[in-house]
Amino acid sequence: MAETAQALTLAVGDRVVYPNQGVCRVTSVESKEVAGQTLTFVTMKREEDGAVVMVPEAKVRSIGLRKVAGRADVERVFSFLRSDSDKANLDWKQRARTNVERMSQGGLMGLAEVVKGLQVLSELRPLPTKERELYDNARHLLVAELAASLHVAEVDAEDSVDLVLFPPGRERPKRTAEEFRSAAGDEDGMELGEDLLELGGEMDLAPEAEPEEAQAEAEEAVPAPKAKGAAKGKAEKKAPAEKKAAAKKAAPRGEKKPAAKPEKKAAAKPAKKPAAKPAAKKVPAKPAKRK
Amino acid sequence: MIRLVTLDAYDPKVIDRLCKVLYTAFGVGCEHAGDMSLPAGQHEPFDAQELLKALPSPRAYADDKILYLTSRKLKPRSVISGEVPCSGFANQNGPRALVSSAGVKDPEAGLKQIARHAMHQLGHTWELHHCLDPRCAMYPPWTLPYDGGDTFFDTFCRDKSEQRIRLAKS
Repeated sequence: MAETAQALTLAVGDRVVYPNQGVCRVTSVESKEVAGQTLTFVTMKREEDGAVVMVPEAKVRSIGLRKVAGRADVERVFSFLRSDSDKANLDWKQRARTNVERMSQGGLMGLAEVVKGLQVLSELRPLPTKERELYDNARHLLVAELAASLHVAEVDAEDSVDLVLFPPGRERPKRTAEEFRSAAGDEDGMELGEDLLELGGEMDLAPEAEPEEAQAEAEEAVPAPKAKGAAKGKAEKKAPAEKKAAAKKAAPRGEKKPAAKPEKKAAAKPAKKPAAKPAAKKVPAKPAKRK
Repeated sequence: MIRLVTLDAYDPKVIDRLCKVLYTAFGVGCEHAGDMSLPAGQHEPFDAQELLKALPSPRAYADDKILYLTSRKLKPRSVISGEVPCSGFANQNGPRALVSSAGVKDPEAGLKQIARHAMHQLGHTWELHHCLDPRCAMYPPWTLPYDGGDTFFDTFCRDKSEQRIRLAKS
């Protein structure tokens, strides 16, 4: 990428790709005076909607502007999409970071990697909203660049991508987390394996938690001496929890009664014992206000 | 507004029901704008892209979408990665779409299938891309489970189409 960016010289009429924006056409390269400095600006028009972007020539390289992919790049993309690379990172943080990098700096292949990765992941579970949006953006940019590169309509470019991703007559595969785990373990070694184990841990949490709950219930049912030795730690953990529960139980009673009483008393007997009532009301009323 | 133009004879009940389904799917009015004859010089199976180009437009507003419905067969489209089985055609963000009911023997019984394809092509005219959810009408239509599916957009596609419709100029 860096090499291509270094060699990038833009002229009016060139078709370029602005990362995360799409295919643009250079409409002018002109010098302008801004705050006493003379800068050369490249003005581009986004082909999709005609939005105009002005970029200082010095910044062209750093924002990742590049020329529209050539035939060779397109062929590489299609061979990648055809390949059985079922690898998808199950760690959402890593995945998000990688995908953002691919979108901004990965070029056409980066876009294809995002699309393929998320498509494979969607065969395991439905994508969350943000990733679904990312998938749609990546697909939109990929299709637009392919169409520009091959000089075909967007609909043809999209169909040619999807013909590879969703071949006719093939059932949609149903994947399991184990498939991803084994694929990642084979290819990437320990690093991904650890991440996947983390995820596996998350996924296995539900069945693990159930026996714990069952054990706790059993301990409550069984007389105390048996449980004492085995579940000391748990008992210690439970103790504060029980205290809290007891405190909670006590607190609402204490709060409810005074909250209810003053209303009733105020309604029923407003004149009787005027001196004692305010004292009784004030104490419980304060914590209720704080909460 | 969706304006439905029939290129062959259909039962009015089928057309009414199709309009209702499209109205429900997009939340935009749908009406039968009349019949048209197929352009001369083209033969079955038709090239969908060429047919759509050759068809005249009925009177419509700027943001109206025109859906042509035919019972004739369409030729598979050849793209760079192979041949795409063709049951309809629409350009991304274009005003017109074409749908064929050639694969459906009884349009009344197979209305769901026709409506699903119509939703798909109209979805393209509102800039929807193919979807990942096999239940969604925007799933690639040449896949195995597509024809058995329901007339349904997933949340993402529905939201996106609603947004596009809301942004329409007229």
